[in-house]
Amino acid sequence: MAGVIGAVLLLTFSGYFGEVAWLTLCDAVLRTTYRLAIAYGIALVLGALMALVVGWSPFSDILFPFFDILQNLPSFALIPFFIYFFGFTSNMIILFAVSSIIWPILFAILTAIKSAHKDLSDAATIFGAKGWRRIPYYLAPLSFPAMLTGSIVGIAIGWEAVIGAEIITNVAGFGDFIKEAGASGISQALVAGTLVILIIVFVINRLVWAPLLTESSKRYAE
Amino acid sequence: MPNKSQQIALVLSRVSANFEDGKERVLVLKDMSFSVPAGSFVSVVGPSGAGKSTLMRVILGLMPHTSGDIVRNFSRPAMVFQNYALFPWLTALNNVAFGLRMAGMRKTEARKTAKKKLEEVGLGHLENHYPAALSGGQRQRVGLARALAISPDLLIMDEPFSNLDTITAESLKADLLKIWRSYGITILMVNHLIPDAVEFSDQIIVMVAHPGHIKSIIPIDLPRPRDTRSAQFFKEVDLLTEATRAIS
Repeated sequence: MAGVIGAVLLLTFSGYFGEVAWLTLCDAVLRTTYRLAIAYGIALVLGALMALVVGWSPFSDILFPFFDILQNLPSFALIPFFIYFFGFTSNMIILFAVSSIIWPILFAILTAIKSAHKDLSDAATIFGAKGWRRIPYYLAPLSFPAMLTGSIVGIAIGWEAVIGAEIITNVAGFGDFIKEAGASGISQALVAGTLVILIIVFVINRLVWAPLLTESSKRYAE
Repeated sequence: MPNKSQQIALVLSRVSANFEDGKERVLVLKDMSFSVPAGSFVSVVGPSGAGKSTLMRVILGLMPHTSGDIVRNFSRPAMVFQNYALFPWLTALNNVAFGLRMAGMRKTEARKTAKKKLEEVGLGHLENHYPAALSGGQRQRVGLARALAISPDLLIMDEPFSNLDTITAESLKADLLKIWRSYGITILMVNHLIPDAVEFSDQIIVMVAHPGHIKSIIPIDLPRPRDTRSAQFFKEVDLLTEATRAIS
């Protein structure tokens, strides 16, 4: 990362980025990040809820393959449906991203619940985590590490979904920005945009996921 | 145990249970009949695959039985597991407090009771450790404290010592006997070490595999505390070893 920062500084001082419309770029990046954040929030709540309810219910064995088929639908093939229902809007992009982000989260949690040691589940039952209490006191903490890894994968896919959808639909955002930059031949803008996204991803990883992963591996180690 | 010998904590009569393995049904327990007097210490011994753990799950209602009757004269069962089954996301103290919290006890009160139980098993100083930071012996002590915290009237123990080294197991066994005497709870323990079963038990149930059923029920009438080096003790161990040898 130090190398990347050094390169950025060098390029900046050498006047390489002179032609870049920084305000437009920042605006675009903020829009994209905002969409991703909202989409992730929705996908996390929805995916976790679905996984907990399915994992808790006796129908999980029936529903698992059904989800597996849904997950395997190529997500960008669904974009015309989203456009048909929601138009060329920011909300359309958010909902489309949700449809991509939700699967890794749902499957990670569902797998964690299904593969938990039977004794642990028995212990929860014997010591009183029955009925609805099973969700907050057993299933949710049990699936915390899975929720973390599912989220990391989900957000990686989420960047792709949001930026991809912006490129396809020309809705203002980072995808639209680099598409314009590429089309008008301003390669500096392309480089600048990529660097900005890289930095954001790096900062989120360092400040959010890395500490959570450390905490999780400390607690959940066998 | 004082005045409890008249009451029966648990009665099984002709209890059978199946495992559903895909479409196939496998009979795992067949015609199990025995009773456990309140306050007594009963061991279940037998080869692996005899359905000992399944029997415990059926008794606790974690798994349905297909025929026969179970009379459960207990209201607060607790269990100690072979692999501890502690909740990794909770500290030792919160693991012990778990059952109390689920029963609706207030947080501060539950933690106070849990702390007392942890001290009772000699782990008061490790209350803030997560299970991952504890040794096997310490984890099993937390498991025992978690079970004792809910003041159980039936304590089921599924091979609680078999993942521990001999020295750790010996000290835990001594503590367990002490706890059993002072609490007067009914204990049903799955065991695979015959000398242990003879040392602890009022009654030993010998199980056989394919399908799991009872081969014999052997009462142990040796006076307590038991001298594990006496001639009588060795005689009982021999007798039981013979009984299990014939089946394996």
